[in-house]
Amino acid sequence: MTPVIFDRSLLARRRARALAERKPGADFLLTLVADDLADRLAAVDRRFSRALVIGDPTGLLAARIAAGRVDEVVRADLLVSGLDGGGALVLDDEALPFVGGAFDLVVSSLALQFANDLPGALIEARRVLKPDGLFLGVLAGGDTLTELRQAFLQAESRRSGGASPRVAPMAEVRDLGGLLQRAGFALPVADQDRLTLRYSSALALMDDLKAMGASSVLADRRRGLTGPALMAEVAAIYQEMFGDPDGRVRASLSLVSLSGWAPHESQQKPLRPGSAKMRLADALKMPPRTEDD
Amino acid sequence: MQENDGRRTGEVDPKLLEILVCPLTKATLEWYPERRELVSRPARLAYPVRDGVPIMLPDEARALDPDE
Repeated sequence: MTPVIFDRSLLARRRARALAERKPGADFLLTLVADDLADRLAAVDRRFSRALVIGDPTGLLAARIAAGRVDEVVRADLLVSGLDGGGALVLDDEALPFVGGAFDLVVSSLALQFANDLPGALIEARRVLKPDGLFLGVLAGGDTLTELRQAFLQAESRRSGGASPRVAPMAEVRDLGGLLQRAGFALPVADQDRLTLRYSSALALMDDLKAMGASSVLADRRRGLTGPALMAEVAAIYQEMFGDPDGRVRASLSLVSLSGWAPHESQQKPLRPGSAKMRLADALKMPPRTEDD
Repeated sequence: MQENDGRRTGEVDPKLLEILVCPLTKATLEWYPERRELVSRPARLAYPVRDGVPIMLPDEARALDPDE
């Protein structure tokens, strides 16, 4: 049984509210990731017949993917309908509603950091891919929001002598390559881009997270309102620990990029151990050992 | 599939319908145009279709009546 870390119906409500409010500029991360994914796809010398795009509330990513070597794009909204009429359907990326092998490209943007069952979500992506189909994904991971986590921890332990979960646990890039492999992907690659965002204060950062529908959806979160006194203390600690001389504060963001292929005969793969037909020394053209060595 | 005529008619894009299954059981779905629902018999759930957009979330699906 997978532990429930995230309250996915709360996530749906947070996303719905963020989309309804549509704060200008709150989509900067979606735009950044859409550009990155489109660039990664452009580097793949292949034509794709049908692509699934998950986590694209603005429609920008689907448009970027469709502009590449892709014949048909299915834009799927994560848990709630996206903007401007939304995509072709609404789904949950932990339980994809498609027959196996329906796509030869699956692209996931900023969705997997909210998965309760990350290996399961990767297995689902793998299942809906045809052999030799490609999965590309970007999720927040690593030390994302580490400053906010530390500021909350300090403020809460000072005030109440304890701490409650405030910032979601993040997947580490070194684990994600292994997870891709476990999910059955060939040629798995996971790497990360570390960014530093700057805000006028920790409160401005939290406002932005809310506008992105990314404020905490931890299932085990503290219920009820967080008091203004605690928030002021968090902001003060954040400022003190992570403030720049100009008064602005830093926030870390690690974007982990994943890629993997549904296995196919044509792909390069390592030989079985012991199956070599030639000595390594011969391949390296080393001189034969003599008694004097 | 992006330019979906179903937005006007409320119909599901036939090409999308071909690849859709129940997210829980992965079983084939039955399309009931009069009720705008996609029915999964094994899961006993009816997934709503709003303005031609299938909402494939078990949380938002209607449980089938025993006689359905």
